[in-house]
Amino acid sequence: MAAHDAQPLSSGSAGSEPVISVRDLGIEFYRSRRRRMQLREMLFHGRSGATKQTFWALRNISFDIHAGDAVGLVGGNGGGKSTLLKMIAGVLLPDEGSVEVRGGVAPLIELTGGFLGELSARDNIHLTAGLHGLGKAEIEERFDDIVDFAGPEVRAGLDTPYRHFSSGMKVRLGFAVVTTLDEPIILVDEVLAVGDRAFREKCYQRMESLLGDGKTLFLVSHSERDLRRFSTRGIYLKRGQLAMDGPMEDVLDRYNHDLDAGA
Amino acid sequence: MKLITRTQAILARRSVLWTLVIRDLRVRYSRSVLGYLWTILDPLLMSSVYFVVFVFILKRNNLGHEPYFMFLVIGLLSWQWFSGCLTDTSRALIQESKLVRSTNLPREMWVLRVVLSKGIEYLLSLPVLVFFSIVYLVKGQLHVNWWVLLFPLAIVLQAVALTGIGLILAPVTALVTDTQRVVRIATRVMFYATPVVYAGHLVPAPYDKVTWLNPLAGILEIMRAGLFRHDRFPILWGAIGTSVVVSFALLVAGFAVFSRLERAVLKEI
Repeated sequence: MAAHDAQPLSSGSAGSEPVISVRDLGIEFYRSRRRRMQLREMLFHGRSGATKQTFWALRNISFDIHAGDAVGLVGGNGGGKSTLLKMIAGVLLPDEGSVEVRGGVAPLIELTGGFLGELSARDNIHLTAGLHGLGKAEIEERFDDIVDFAGPEVRAGLDTPYRHFSSGMKVRLGFAVVTTLDEPIILVDEVLAVGDRAFREKCYQRMESLLGDGKTLFLVSHSERDLRRFSTRGIYLKRGQLAMDGPMEDVLDRYNHDLDAGA
Repeated sequence: MKLITRTQAILARRSVLWTLVIRDLRVRYSRSVLGYLWTILDPLLMSSVYFVVFVFILKRNNLGHEPYFMFLVIGLLSWQWFSGCLTDTSRALIQESKLVRSTNLPREMWVLRVVLSKGIEYLLSLPVLVFFSIVYLVKGQLHVNWWVLLFPLAIVLQAVALTGIGLILAPVTALVTDTQRVVRIATRVMFYATPVVYAGHLVPAPYDKVTWLNPLAGILEIMRAGLFRHDRFPILWGAIGTSVVVSFALLVAGFAVFSRLERAVLKEI
């Protein structure tokens, strides 16, 4: 649906309101990877023993994303892509500016994080889906879909402890659970590269059907093919700054040009 | 106020909180057949040890209310919840770092979940208390009175205090790595600085107020008020009043510290 004349607060549907709006976003990190302090050092040396140097992983980032947009984040390592995604997912908090997200988010980040080795796969599905906000009835309803998607090996091992699963099966189960959440916004961080080729193709189809349903997609990937396939709009992050925001083709051209120029 | 908005956010996601609590209990009890036995074995064993040491070996029979074994069981069951909670809440954020990093829940929930699941374990151990109450009632040594109605209130108060302490410990431990050791030592010291195995009256004058600072002192006083005769040791209302104030002060302080450190913690874990 195209955005018509702005009708503020029209009946609660998305309308022309952006679903994600980012304003002057900035986040500052300590340069030593871990600031981890120790009481022992603080007591005996009067200082924390870690460097005080900081850097801005992201700064002055502003953009709006509307319902149904498919956005790909482009940029080299350390550009701040994953950090930005985490702030949209709400698992990192900005030091400057704001991130506003309207609607639920299905984060395909740390897919296997919620699973417990001790419990069976069946219990794990219930728990993880519950953790992401699904009710009991909804989980029952989607349980078969989840297991079907995860594949026959997972179905066969449904009642064995999760720790006996292969790493591929673990990720597949995670992907299956999170993509059945039915949230309007989907965040994807490099997880398309997992699993064997057959499963990857299944992931692609699932992503396309989600996009077809009008979901908003936010994708981080180093694969140009994935970026072109799933996103129409590109946001190019360069050393924590917003370098470009435009059609994916143009953004990729600019990114490749920068790479070739060695900048 | 921060406390109110955060509480609202947590209440909105309470079904997730229960999911987490149930997960904790399920893991705990699926791991071993003795699961339930362990939760009651430890306080019972320790009660027996203190009983033997103080009454049989040191020949002291004036350390607490009579029957002294009952006095010990109340204290040690509650203490087990208290100390277990301190250890586990200080790990609450680091241990679940993967989950904290991948789900956007009000992060206070990681602490609350520990307090609640430990609290439910405590509730599950109460049948032991009921059992001994009946035994001593039949023997005519227990003097149940109306104050026993305050017992549930004491449980709520302990949950409040533990939430406050946990909200301070969890983010501090995530930032300062050796806090866990400090907590472990402090907990052991606190055990003897709190009227768990002795009655609060036995602490000499100015120092008894020091033991009141641990809200558990007043909480245990409430729990014991309804089950014993108070001719020798009258109920210490001062300790009880202090524990109410300290518990709620800890809760407010906990929410303040947590929200102050949350940003830094998320970057570190």
